[in-house]
Amino acid sequence: MPADSQDVLRRAGDASVLILTSLADGPKHGYALIQDIKGFAGLQLGPGTLYGALDRLERLGLVEALPADERRHPYQITAAGAAALRAHLDSLERVGAVGRLRLRLGGI
Amino acid sequence: MTRPRPARVVGFSLRCYPRRWQRRHGAEAAELAELLIRDGVPARSIACSYLRAAARERLTPRPRHWPAAAAAALLIAAASLGVPLGLLSASAPASAASAARAHPAGLGPRPRCGGSASQTGPPARPALDQARLASLWARPAALPAADGHGEHC
Repeated sequence: MPADSQDVLRRAGDASVLILTSLADGPKHGYALIQDIKGFAGLQLGPGTLYGALDRLERLGLVEALPADERRHPYQITAAGAAALRAHLDSLERVGAVGRLRLRLGGI
Repeated sequence: MTRPRPARVVGFSLRCYPRRWQRRHGAEAAELAELLIRDGVPARSIACSYLRAAARERLTPRPRHWPAAAAAALLIAAASLGVPLGLLSASAPASAASAARAHPAGLGPRPRCGGSASQTGPPARPALDQARLASLWARPAALPAADGHGEHC
């Protein structure tokens, strides 16, 4: 099976990848996700973008909402989400390796 | 007592979401906005983010609308490619009927929110007319929200 067909995050958008990466080390609610992503990626995810991506990921079965803690819903990555993130990161690594090799070959 | 202006701006943008979304995320989204404002994020940028996402939420067809939308899109594509009208007339009733079953509000006069359950659908019309009507609701802007049509920002 081609690697691309396993990479369901290929068209999911950067926000989805950032959210899955953030959830990879444990469940988080919206504010914690935004803070964590700001810490490791250096960008502030808009709250609308965050909830749009969370809804999409939930529909795809890649994350799931845990019981609400007061008004906040923590989210956690599912097994399918972890597999999708792994496949996407593998794909990025392959592209990165080719890019670096070609830059070296091109003498740039 | 009136709320401070940033909260009102954000509250307005949150009310632009469909009711289903508001029930699911509304309280949490309002709390998140409060925390972000406290961190120094401008209320206007938070409101803009919610407004953009609300528009996307309303314009994105829900999965259960896809079969009917696909049927309508196929009809439009066939019509624009110049498929003979007779062929369209032969195939349209089935597609239009399935579209009507999947989404009766798209054909005939649109019922108001909480419209009567006794509505049995529009009378039979020529096939092309039905196909055109089906194509109208297939446009993203004309898609009503899953459970909140008739809401306004």
